Amino acid sequence: MLATTTPSLATTLDVLAAEIELAGARCIFLDRIIGEVMDGLSDVHRARMMEGLHGVDLLAQHLTSLSAFTRGVSLQAPPELTVPVDEALAEITLGALAERLSAGLGVANDDAEPPPSGDVDLF
Amino acid sequence: MQFDGRDTKVMVVDNDRTTLEMVQIRLDVGGYHPIGARTAEAALEVLGHTRIDALVLERDLPGIDGMAFLEAIAPLQQRRPIPIVLVGRSLAADDVRRAVQLGVRDVLAKPFSGAAVLERVGRVLKKAGPAAPARQTVYLSA
Repeated sequence: MLATTTPSLATTLDVLAAEIELAGARCIFLDRIIGEVMDGLSDVHRARMMEGLHGVDLLAQHLTSLSAFTRGVSLQAPPELTVPVDEALAEITLGALAERLSAGLGVANDDAEPPPSGDVDLF
Repeated sequence: MQFDGRDTKVMVVDNDRTTLEMVQIRLDVGGYHPIGARTAEAALEVLGHTRIDALVLERDLPGIDGMAFLEAIAPLQQRRPIPIVLVGRSLAADDVRRAVQLGVRDVLAKPFSGAAVLERVGRVLKKAGPAAPARQTVYLSA
C-alpha cells in the first residue's frame, strides 16, 4: 500500500503560488528578449511581433495576478486543512515541474545538482 | 544567461529551485547579474573568489543554515559589508534581531512576489551605496 502525502492546504497553495510566479517571471524574460529582437526587424515583421509581445505582456500580468491571489488564499487557509496530492502529482508529465512540486510538498527529496553559478537555469 | 555591462552582482542562496530560478530571472531582467547557489557551502565558495554586491539569503537552508552562514561571513562583513536580504517562511523575532546584528538589511517573508524581492534588493543596494542596476529595463509590475 502506497503512503499518501497530505501537506497542509496553505503549503500546497504556497508551492503553487511560487510556480505561477516562476511562470510569470519566464514570461517577463521572454518579453524582454522579444523587445530586444524587435529592434532589427522590418516594419511588417515588427507589427506582427508587437502582437506577440502584447500577448506575452497579458500572460505575464495574468500569471502575476494569479500568483498573488493564490498567495493571498494560502495566508487565509486554516492550518488544520490538509490535501492529498499524490494522485494529482502523478498526472503531471513535465518532469522538472513534478520534481519541484514534489520537493515543495514533501513527496520526494530535492537532491538535484544546483545550476552553475551565474547562470539563469531556464527551461 | 548573462549580458555584458552588468556589474552589480547579486547572489541568491536558496535550496528551493522554483524560488531560486524565479528570483534569478527577475534580477536578470532588472539589470543585475544574478548568481545562484543552492547551499550555504556553495555560496561561501563563490564569496571566496567573487565580489558580491548584495545577497538574498534563505533562512532555512539544508546543512549550514542561513544564520550559521551569516556567522561564517561575519569577518568578511567587517571588511566589506554586503547588504543582505534575509528571506524565509518562519522568521522568528530573535532570528531577525540577530540577523540584523550580522549585517542583514532587510527581511522578506515567503511566499513573496518577484516584484517584492526586486524592490528589496534595489532598496538595500541604494542604502549601501552607489551600486545600481547596470541598465534600466522596463518590466511589468505586479
